[in-house]
Formats: sequence, C-alpha cells, structure tokens
Amino acid sequence: MSAGAVRLEGGGVEASHDASPRARFERLARAASGNASGAEESAPECELLVLWLGDDPYALPVERVREIVRLRSITPIPRVPEAVRGVLSLRGEIVQVIDLRRRLGLPPDTRENPRRRIVVLGGEDGQMTGVLVDRVSEVLRLREDALRPPTERDSTAVTALAPQGERFVSVFDVDRILDLGADA
Amino acid sequence: MAARRTRTPTRNRAAREFVSEVEEILERMRSELADLADARSGGRLDPDLANRLFRSAHSLKGLAGMFGFEGMSELAHHLEDVLDGLRMGRLAPDAPALDLLDEAVELVAGLLERGEGDDVAAAQASIHDLIERIAASLASAPAASADGGLEGVDPALLRALTEYEEHRLRDSVQQGRTIVLVEASFDILAFEEGLSELTGAVRDVGEVISTLPAPGDSPDSQIRFSLLVACDCDADALRARIDVPGATVRTLRGGVARAPQPESAPAEAARAREPGAELESLKSISETVRVDIRKLDELMNLVGELVIQRGAIGAIAEQLLADAATAKIGRELGKIHKLLERRLGDLQAGVLEVRMVPLRQVFEKLSRVVRRLQRDVGKDVRLEIRGGDTELDKLIVEQLADPLMHVVRNAFDHAIESPAERSAAGKPGEGVIRLDAFQRGNHVVIQVSDDGRGIDVAAVRAKAERLGLVAADDVTLTRKQILDLIFAPGLSTSAEVTETSGRGVGMDVVRENVTALGGIVHVESEVGRGTTVSFTLPITLAIIQALLVGVGDQRFAIPLTSVLETLLVDPAQIQRSEDREFVNLRGEPLALRRLHSEFGLAAPAPSARQAVVVLGLGDARVGVLVDRLEGQQDAVIKPIQGPIRSVRGIAGATELGSQGTVLVLDVAALVEDGGKRREAA
Repeated sequence: MSAGAVRLEGGGVEASHDASPRARFERLARAASGNASGAEESAPECELLVLWLGDDPYALPVERVREIVRLRSITPIPRVPEAVRGVLSLRGEIVQVIDLRRRLGLPPDTRENPRRRIVVLGGEDGQMTGVLVDRVSEVLRLREDALRPPTERDSTAVTALAPQGERFVSVFDVDRILDLGADA
Repeated sequence: MAARRTRTPTRNRAAREFVSEVEEILERMRSELADLADARSGGRLDPDLANRLFRSAHSLKGLAGMFGFEGMSELAHHLEDVLDGLRMGRLAPDAPALDLLDEAVELVAGLLERGEGDDVAAAQASIHDLIERIAASLASAPAASADGGLEGVDPALLRALTEYEEHRLRDSVQQGRTIVLVEASFDILAFEEGLSELTGAVRDVGEVISTLPAPGDSPDSQIRFSLLVACDCDADALRARIDVPGATVRTLRGGVARAPQPESAPAEAARAREPGAELESLKSISETVRVDIRKLDELMNLVGELVIQRGAIGAIAEQLLADAATAKIGRELGKIHKLLERRLGDLQAGVLEVRMVPLRQVFEKLSRVVRRLQRDVGKDVRLEIRGGDTELDKLIVEQLADPLMHVVRNAFDHAIESPAERSAAGKPGEGVIRLDAFQRGNHVVIQVSDDGRGIDVAAVRAKAERLGLVAADDVTLTRKQILDLIFAPGLSTSAEVTETSGRGVGMDVVRENVTALGGIVHVESEVGRGTTVSFTLPITLAIIQALLVGVGDQRFAIPLTSVLETLLVDPAQIQRSEDREFVNLRGEPLALRRLHSEFGLAAPAPSARQAVVVLGLGDARVGVLVDRLEGQQDAVIKPIQGPIRSVRGIAGATELGSQGTVLVLDVAALVEDGGKRREAA
C-alpha cells in the first residue's frame, strides 16, 4: 500500500470555558444561532430539543443532536464515573451512554418507562455520546434574545433559560454535560 | 476531560491532501537518501538514484508552489540544484552534500509537522540559512568537466540530448564503456510494454542514457525508438540479450577493455534485487493508489458487519437442520454458509493486507537519526538492521516511530560507552546497535539491542527502594521484574540511574505508547555486555478472533492471539502469597487475576471448578479467572466513543449481532498489571 496517507489529527485542547454564567449564556446563544461571530444585528433564531427529567423540562441545542433512539440494552463498563451507564452499538459505532439523572445528581427513577430515550450527541471531533433521558417532547424554536441567563451563578450544566409558554426550559451546555473530568 | 480533539477548521481537506502528498515525497526522498549514503562508498553515484531524488525534489517544488508555500518551494528548487550538481558530476556525493540534503528533508518535514504556526519568521530564517549554505557549496564546486570525447557521435543525436544525458554520455565514454545505439519498432498499441522489456534487457548490462523516438519509414501501426546505451560489454553481447524482433544494435564507439569496476557493484545489486523498479515514471503512477486509511477502516467495518450477518445465517441453518421437516433445506443453506464464510475470510485477509506496511520506513528514519547523532556527537556506532520487510498495520507503524526512536537514542546516548571505555573493557571501538524485527505467531517482535555497558540491576533496585516502588525486604522480585522497573515513571526519569546504569529517560512514556497499541515492552540486560529492549505488538488492531468469557452477568471478549490455553482449576489449587493469588501450572507459578475484583463485578457463586484463561504477551504470563468460557467469535474491535477516553484493561468493544455489545479486554494492560502490586480499587 502507499505510504504517508495516514495523518493522525493532533489532540488539540479546546479553548477553556468562560467562567461567568453570562459569558456561557452568550456563547450558547452564538452556538445555537450558528453565527460564530455574533455580529449579526437582527437576533437570529435558535432551535432546542426539549427533553424531560421527571416533571422538569430541559433542552439541548438541536445542531448537536445526531439522532434519538429508544432505550436498548446497554453494556455496563467498569472503572468509569458513575454517570456513565455503559456502551451501546449504534450502526457499528460503539458509544458511551451518560445517564443524565446521574450526571446531574438527581434521584434515580426505576419505574417502567417506555418513553425513555437516548439522545445521541455529536462532538466537533466526530465523537458521539448517548445521553439517557426520561422522554423527549419537541423542538422549540425561539429568538436568541429571548434566552435568559440561569438563576444560579454556580449552575454546573445549565447555560440559559428558554421561555416556553408559562414556564422556562433549562438549556444545557453540551460540552459541560460531557465533561466528566471534574466529577470522575 | 480537559483535552478534546478538535478538527482543524476549513480548507483541511486540501491541506490534508497536501500534507499527505508531501509526506509521501519526503518518505521517498529519505529512503533514496539512505540508499545514496549506502551506495556512495565507491565515490561513484548510481545515476538512477540521483535521478529519482531529483524527480522527488522537483515534485516537492511543484507541490509547494501550487499551495503557496514559497519558502518550501524555493528550498526544493535549491535542492534540485544540489541534486543536479550531483548527477552532473559537478558535486561529489560526499558527506557535506548528503548532510545538506538530509537537513533540507528534515527541515521540510519539520515545517509540515508544525504547520505555519507562530514561528513563521524562524522557519523562514532556517530555510534561508540552508539555502545560502547550499548556494555556497555549489559555488565552491569545480566547474563542469571539459568537453571532448564525443567524436564519432552523430551531431544530430547529440543535439537531441539534454544536458544531463550528454553528461552521462561523456562520463561513460571517459570510463571506456561501449556506446551503442539500439533501434527497435513496436506495435503502437502496446509499445510501453515492449519498450520497458527492451529497456530492462539493456539495463542488465548497461545504462540507457536516452530514449528517443526514431525517424524512419515504419508503418502507421508501429512506433520506432532509439536507445542510446552505454554498456560494459560489446555490441554482440548486447545483441544476444535483446529479444525484440527487428531490433538493431549499432556501435557508435567501442569500449576500452578493463577490469570490472567494483564500485558499480552495489548499484547493480540494487537493480538485481528489484527487477523493473527503474521503469517507474508512468507505470508506478498508474499502478499504485494512495488511500486514506480511514476509508480502509470503513471497509473493515463493513466486513465486520458482514461477518455478523454471516453468523446469523449460520444460526438459521442450524435451526433448519435440527427439524426433520426442514433438514434438507438446512443442509443446503449450511453449504452456502460455509462458502460465504470462506469468501468472507478471504475478503477480511485482503483488506487487512492492504493496511500492512513494512517496518523499513521506520527503520530508515532511525538509521538517519543514528547517522546524525554520530556526526553531532562523534561517537562511533554502527546500526545494523534486520527484518525491515516485516509488516505491521500502518497505524501501528506510525505510532511506533517515537518509542523506537527513544529507545535507540537511549542506546546511543547512554548505553554505548566512549571509545576509551570500550577499549578498556576489551570491546571493539565501534559500538553496535541492532534493530531486529520478526514475526512470532500473531505478533511482531521488534528488538533494539546494543553492546554497551548494560543495566546495573542492583542500582535500579536501590533507586526503586528509595522511591518506595519496592520494599527493601521484598525478596520475591526476580531479576527480570527489577529490570522492568526501568519502565516505572519515577525511576526512568532519574538522572542517577542514567549515570550509574547507563539507561535513559522517558521509558515510562515508551511503555505507555506501546501499551496503547496493545503491545508490551520488555528489557533484558547484562552488565558489560549490553541491553535488549523488546517490543511485542499485535499485527493489526482491526479484526481479531476472540474468546468469549462470562463473568457474573457480563461477558467479555479476549483476543485469541493472546490466549495460550484455558484450564479448569480446583479452588483448593489456588495458592495465596501476600495479597496475590497464583496456581501451579506444570511446575511454574502462574499469577492469577480475578475479573470480578478487577472490574468491581458481583462475586460469582462458588463453584467446584473455575475456568482460567492463560494470557501471554511477550514473555509475560497471567491467568484470568472467569466464570464461564463461551466459545470463539470473529470480532472487529472498535474504539469506544464518548467523554471517557480510555479505561485501563478495556481495549474497545465489539458488536456480536444478537449477542449485543461486548467489551474487549486489553490483554497488555492485564498482563502488565499482573506484574505489579495490585492497586487499591
């Protein structure tokens, strides 16, 4: 075979996250709008996938969602943080599944629930990760300037609150959910 | 998880193409330079080799220019000048010239590695510095040899020659070779083949200086060529070798009888080794394809999925066979299944083979490093290479370069003594580092040996005790286990051990890299005699035969290549020593590990006999206690995607159709951990 066709991409380190919730909020807003510079005048729209943990709505930016699959058999994996439920095979790719309840420190829900889903997220590096949620309801489209910063300054994974009817949906920062380093 | 791989933004497809193409050219140039260094001993240059190098530099220039890397392009242009000087005989192929070429290749490689980076100015400075030195060396070169010696050659023919061809002609005349003109006609549709056959025949005894289309009244369907040839035999001898109907051989200038020249031997030998290798240009381009290895991965994935589906068909055939009503059709399906299995096996083997590359590439890099070290340090060391043809998965070869480099450097810097020390010890002044590669079963072993001062086991042990890696009163450690401590993090970076034992730094990183490839590294050493570091690696990472084992309610796959045997042991046979368990295996103690406790799984129900899978990698052995043995399967090992980048002891996962996803054990990690004290889980 020919030589030299393999070039491994170096492991670059992603820019560190901004510390303040406000900055994170703006970052998400930019990411959600697909407008990296944020320079556009008219507030663009963003699309959020609404999912539920018990009675509380949360959301993930749609552009990070690769697909949504039914809960299927997950193979447990040893020596990993508790939030990682195990791995599953997705058309030949083996991906880790994070239990979002465990990840957020919420109590487990052991009831039978046919609506449980795995939301498959794609990273910029092509790596996929499954996120186990209680159910998925809809895609919410709203103007970016409707987003509000989270109420708690120290919120670990929520980067914004999105109004929906009478309530607010907590919007996740995907990278923070996937960053298990601090909790590992 | 601080580090996350990010994709280099935009234009990266074109950039990747560029990088991979330049890398290919550099790889070729390195190998050509190595040949050049080997072949120049006689002071003569193999003209083919110089030409190949020249063409490589030319491609580099074109490519760099096309992508706007002006510095690189300019450097390549000056490289062309040097190479032109070499092939035209204006420059002697001596060490300074070769060093300039080496340096230029490495400079380009460095630019490629770092990208434009923030050091544009520094990169440009080093390019210009090198260009100036090249220009200086060219300016000091003697002028081209005088004209003359070409009397008797048709001036029309001379006019058709390039400057280089004319130089070759003159050079050949001066060497007293016979100059002949060979003319032959070929069918226009198939002339390439006929011409290369003719050229090949001529090259066995001489050099083709130029191939020119010949005028003449040949029919339209024919094309006629003249080959200007310099040979060491006379025209009759040449004629006898040519097997082309209608070919004519005409002597332009008789040769001078002389003793055969030993200098030309290496070049001839090189030719004999690779028949037809010099007919490259057109042909090689059309016959090789560069493929992104990710595409091969995709193919391998597809094959893996076919294998899984094949398994499902087999299961259906079995079911049909079991029922008398459908046994006939079951037998038919079974036959088809068998055929399918065989063909799939061929397909798998084919795809795997495409990924294989010889280790020579890496060995050549190492030999260059040693040459450079030799020059810089002034130490007399010979590098011996054996088994460069041994093949390994391309990805493994890539990942292996750094660890090997490290070990070779260590041997050079620390193991090989100074000439004075060596002669005091009664050793030859020239030190030897040997690279050996060979296949052993389903693994490839690479050994780096030196005849240096060796490792002082006592010094290693003393240091390890001071670092708390070993208890002072631990008498259970074997000599081998102590030697392996040089791979422990704290120890190998210690300057003290370096000085007292002659072994260097960063061996922990070496082990880490090799382990990541599913391999294992060992060291053997004798004070005063030398040291051998052995790498044992799987041939490929892509597809394996796996042994399925059950532990509690989970199953794991173990690469069969690492399974030496399986045993059933009585719990009473299991002995304990401190916190470790072992069993007597035919007179040798075999360390045991329990997957339950390793992986925090539920303890098994006590049973009368327990299954032990004996794993071996290199010289190391370890027995793994499992609850059940569940048979063999083909498995495609896949990396596990997601936020957790690696789990010690798990090499990946594989999908086994209806049996779901199964984790694949990392045998190297299990074997290595087996030699250490168990860490608190």
